Amino acid sequence: MGGFLLRKAGAALVVVFCSSVLVFLGVRALPGDPAIALSGENNDPAVLAAVRHQYGLDKPLPVQYAKWIWRALHGNLGLDNRQLPVAHTIVTRIPISLELALLSVLVGAVIGITAGVIAAVRRGRVEDHAATTLALVGLSLPHFWLGLLMIIVFAVDLHWLPAGGYVSFGADPVGNLEHMAMPALVLGTGLSAVLMRQMRSSMLTSLGADYVRTARAKGLSEWAVVGKHAFRNSLITVTTVIGLQLGALISGVVITEVIFVIPGFGRLTLDAATARDYTMIQGVVLVTATGYVVVNLLVDVVYSLLNPRIRHAGSAG
Amino acid sequence: MSFADAAPRLSPRARRRRILRRRFLRRPFAVIGLVVAVAFVLGAILAPVVAPYSAAATDFNSVLGHSSGKHLLGTDELGRDVFSRIVWGARASIEAGVFSVLIAMAFAVPVGVVAGYYRGWPDTVIARATDVLLAFPFLILAIGLSAILGPSLTNAMLALGFGVAPQLIRVARGEALALREEDYVRAAIANGAGDIRIMARHVIPNMIPTLIVQATVAIPAAIIGEAVLSFLGLGVQPPTPSWGVMLADAQSYLTQAPRLAIYPGVAIFLCSLSFNLLGDGLRDVLDPRTTR
Repeated sequence: MGGFLLRKAGAALVVVFCSSVLVFLGVRALPGDPAIALSGENNDPAVLAAVRHQYGLDKPLPVQYAKWIWRALHGNLGLDNRQLPVAHTIVTRIPISLELALLSVLVGAVIGITAGVIAAVRRGRVEDHAATTLALVGLSLPHFWLGLLMIIVFAVDLHWLPAGGYVSFGADPVGNLEHMAMPALVLGTGLSAVLMRQMRSSMLTSLGADYVRTARAKGLSEWAVVGKHAFRNSLITVTTVIGLQLGALISGVVITEVIFVIPGFGRLTLDAATARDYTMIQGVVLVTATGYVVVNLLVDVVYSLLNPRIRHAGSAG
Repeated sequence: MSFADAAPRLSPRARRRRILRRRFLRRPFAVIGLVVAVAFVLGAILAPVVAPYSAAATDFNSVLGHSSGKHLLGTDELGRDVFSRIVWGARASIEAGVFSVLIAMAFAVPVGVVAGYYRGWPDTVIARATDVLLAFPFLILAIGLSAILGPSLTNAMLALGFGVAPQLIRVARGEALALREEDYVRAAIANGAGDIRIMARHVIPNMIPTLIVQATVAIPAAIIGEAVLSFLGLGVQPPTPSWGVMLADAQSYLTQAPRLAIYPGVAIFLCSLSFNLLGDGLRDVLDPRTTR
């Protein structure tokens, strides 16, 4: 198990390294001279040279990269276009998006897994048809549109919930949840549809498998068969799916934050790109890649805990 | 089955096709999905015939107008006919949905199968590359692409294809990993079949049902993805009509004319729902594991 973890962590480091190189080179491949943007569209060669020197843009690329990474490891991601520390901005924005993401995953997992298990166990009955139909509707709904509809109904017409904005949990817990309710529902229901379908289909596969037939033949109770044997094996698939949905979750966070005017990490990413804020883009992508890899590592660990076969196959190969 | 079904004149393949067609036709939702999806595709192709007005034609006597005999779904803030714009907007959505998934499939399936079948170093390299691709959520990728190449439908489709591909690679790899342990693959290896033959004859055909499920999720997801990108200004550029652009414009009129935010969304919903229903029906018909 230790060796398995070490190997996975090593691979994760490689991924973060590759992502950092990619974004570093990618940002430099963008059209336009960052020095011009940094100097406030000033074309004076002397000013540009000074700006280049100040930001280290006159150094060779590997040196620039090494400097950037070295500082990043010390928590310094440089200054953005407004001369504010990038790391500080990111650190203040992340908890907002993390709250949104966690609430959404919670909403999605509770709805998705419950509905998936019920649909599989009650296959072909009313419950199955209801859950399957709802999942289909959920998959076909553009969730940002659902967000607009919810604003029309709950904010514009009924005045129940705020149309957008953010209040921190520490300052006003009730207000925080009021502001997060619609965004988390919008993002979470999207996730639940995918989860429900995967959960249902892998439960059905498990329920039809030989070991479940054996468990039934042994005379185990239906609860033990479904809960212990089929459910545990289906969770493997679902863990993977949650891992696979992470990219979609990050994208979902961006659009949800745009619609509900939440000043989170996603909004920051979009703004950084539209404003061509190079240091900010680098910082945002580095943080996203690192976070992504960490979550994936966790998924791998859970995966191997649930399925010893994969762990052993991994150490043999 | 009656004796007529087993008529000796039909080849086994033709008989199988007939059985599949019957199974499909027995599923009303799948048939409805097929009909609506075809209607959307035809509507998009025949937009000049179907749409009563051009997408850019303005009627300043009717600004933010309600639905009427003249304007079926009313008019927007510039007096443009909403129904016509939805019909023209179908083009961008369907193009994006179909082509981005085709791009992704053509790339992802061979790569994923090679990774899962050979394991070892090809698997490690491909898995790490996939991780890197996945680490860039499609929206961030789309933002990057539009920053470098400028925002357009083509770049949006590329980003969507990139967005779908890693997921398909992982699924294809997982399936290949599982399928290569199946007895019939071992038997084929024992019989001396080559790697390519095993992948083409035993591994890929057996993952087709799974791939259809994935495409089922992918085409509507790409249609929605195009709407998201156009909504954020990263896809189709005005004045070209697109459902996402229409929703973005409607955002400013949520209190005055909420209907402007409703119709394009309904179009996206119906279009992706029809593809989802169609795909589900196909899965039920093609995947013997879930139809038994």
